[in-house]
Amino acid sequence: MSRTARPFVILGFLLVLALFVSVMAGSMFLSPAELWQAFTSRAGGGANGVEQSGVAATILFKLRLPRAILLLLVGAALAGSGAAYQGLFRNPLADPFLIGVASGAGLGAVVAMTIQWPYTAAGLAAVPLAAFAGATLAVLVVTRLARVGNSVPTTNLILAGVAVSSFASAVTSLLMINSTGELRRAMVWLLGGSALSGWNPVLGVLPYILAGCAVLLLLGHPLNVMQFGDEQAQQLGIPVRRVRRVTILAATLTTAAAVAFVGVIGFVGLVVPHILRLLWGGDYRRLLPLSMLGGAALLLLTDTVARTVIAPQEIPVGIITALLGAPFFLWVLRRSKSQNYW
Amino acid sequence: MKKILSMFMLGMIFSLAAAGCSAAPQVAAQPTVRATEVPTAEPLEVTDGLGRVVTLAGTPQQIISLAPSATEILYAVGAGAQMAGRDSFSNYPEEAKALADVGGSMGNYSYEVITSLTPDLVVAAEINTTEQVKALEDLGLTVYYIANPSSLEDLYGILETIGMITGNSDTSAALVESLKARVEVVVEKTRIVSFSPAVFYELDGSEPSRPWTAGPGTFIDMLIGMAGGRNVGGVLSGSWAQMSAEELLVQNPKIILLGDAAYGTTAEQVAARAGWNTIDAVKEGRIYAFNDDTVSRPGPRLVDALEELSKLIHPELYP
Repeated sequence: MSRTARPFVILGFLLVLALFVSVMAGSMFLSPAELWQAFTSRAGGGANGVEQSGVAATILFKLRLPRAILLLLVGAALAGSGAAYQGLFRNPLADPFLIGVASGAGLGAVVAMTIQWPYTAAGLAAVPLAAFAGATLAVLVVTRLARVGNSVPTTNLILAGVAVSSFASAVTSLLMINSTGELRRAMVWLLGGSALSGWNPVLGVLPYILAGCAVLLLLGHPLNVMQFGDEQAQQLGIPVRRVRRVTILAATLTTAAAVAFVGVIGFVGLVVPHILRLLWGGDYRRLLPLSMLGGAALLLLTDTVARTVIAPQEIPVGIITALLGAPFFLWVLRRSKSQNYW
Repeated sequence: MKKILSMFMLGMIFSLAAAGCSAAPQVAAQPTVRATEVPTAEPLEVTDGLGRVVTLAGTPQQIISLAPSATEILYAVGAGAQMAGRDSFSNYPEEAKALADVGGSMGNYSYEVITSLTPDLVVAAEINTTEQVKALEDLGLTVYYIANPSSLEDLYGILETIGMITGNSDTSAALVESLKARVEVVVEKTRIVSFSPAVFYELDGSEPSRPWTAGPGTFIDMLIGMAGGRNVGGVLSGSWAQMSAEELLVQNPKIILLGDAAYGTTAEQVAARAGWNTIDAVKEGRIYAFNDDTVSRPGPRLVDALEELSKLIHPELYP
């Protein structure tokens, strides 16, 4: 196996494994044989197997599989955007929420939650729509505020992002403190743990995450060159401003779509790129796709833990990602031989 | 950049809305027909607390409750034997604890456990979101949503409806009659009361300088009034809010009720709090533990709470 292919094979294998584990594990264990039977009887179009395994099929096709696919997409989106932002801002602390997506989405979602929506299609879609709108609005405001003349300097962008995020978080907290209703829902949403079912959320985020990740994958080479600094990159023929705009646009859309349904899942976007960088180097042409694979696998595995560890209760997955991810990251950091990998 | 971003945003909103539309409430297909079901002549149609029309094919025999209040209501109307599962917080009546636990902490239920119990009716309450109702419906389940009552009259209506849809109309009618009679006794006794002592209801006193209390619009507020008291928290703007200890000293309640007694708060601890020794209730030793479950869960035990409050606020009525 060639050296360049090995990381992809390892992470690909890990992802498939994670997918299997997350589909099998839960309140009702589904063995590979039962999975196979559920799939074949479904394909067979209502043979005897369907009625016998009615509950198993419902759990598999309406709960576990859509949730696994959604989290796979979200994990890829968060880690891919995180890697791109770390490259773009040349800042190891950059994460997909750096310039306001998370706090904007949180504000949008909590505003929507303060209202008792009617039981209609529009009412049911209110929270994800508001979260997506809040996320993109926050980034618009940040880029607008950070603009100097015709360009958007990186430092301005980060500072404006921090300020707008703090403001949005303050308004969110104020709304939650003054709320007369249930706070738990907002809390859980902000910790990234909305229990979902069915395929509609998957269909809702699919176009954004696919398109966004595809665009991010094209940015490997320019991001590599931009590690020398914006001026050098410009001299080497990289259209720095355009790369910056495209990166922000793609990362914003993917992360906004990702958080719209599942809430704010921290840590994946920050740490997955770092772990992979420590293991296999910082070439963005490889780091971006590897981060997407790794983020998807990590989120699937942590969600399986979140669903099963104190079943039937679920822990918001954002808590588990940090709880398991942080020690693992520190372990990788300690055993890495290079003093200064960044 | 801005233009492109807003265009994409619009696109997203449309695609999300489309996803939402295709998710428009549909008539859920029944998953499986069980042999144990007792067939009734006509499918029953009722409108629930969300304004949805819920169709029940027969008398439900495998009921899951998603809220402590719903569990208490179901048992009170005599549907206990038809229960299959309950949320993690349902701890009353005692028999309910033996049922399968379907989760519910932090608002997350295990849809897998719910599905595997093959319920023919899931009873939700206002602690559940419309998204959860929708998700359960998408799993092919029949969901009835109980909106919080805003008065005891509302509560009677809910009890009668739940009695009807679970095939226990007789039990629920008798229950409502007895509840009405018990409320009437308290109201009659309270009629002769000439003054309403100030009552402070403590929900959480872990920050003694600003304890949490119940404001206007809550059941405890309403019941204190019915029992001939005046809720100190009634001056607040929120339903559940923190009240400054200063305001409390100024209002000088005659009675302090510890809704947080279950978490270990005692009258001695309250008396030892800085400055609280000037409050009449502390001086006169009128600090009582109170079972918060009876007032925080809108169910039949609200009437137990009313009787208890009446005895604590106006002991002279119970010689």
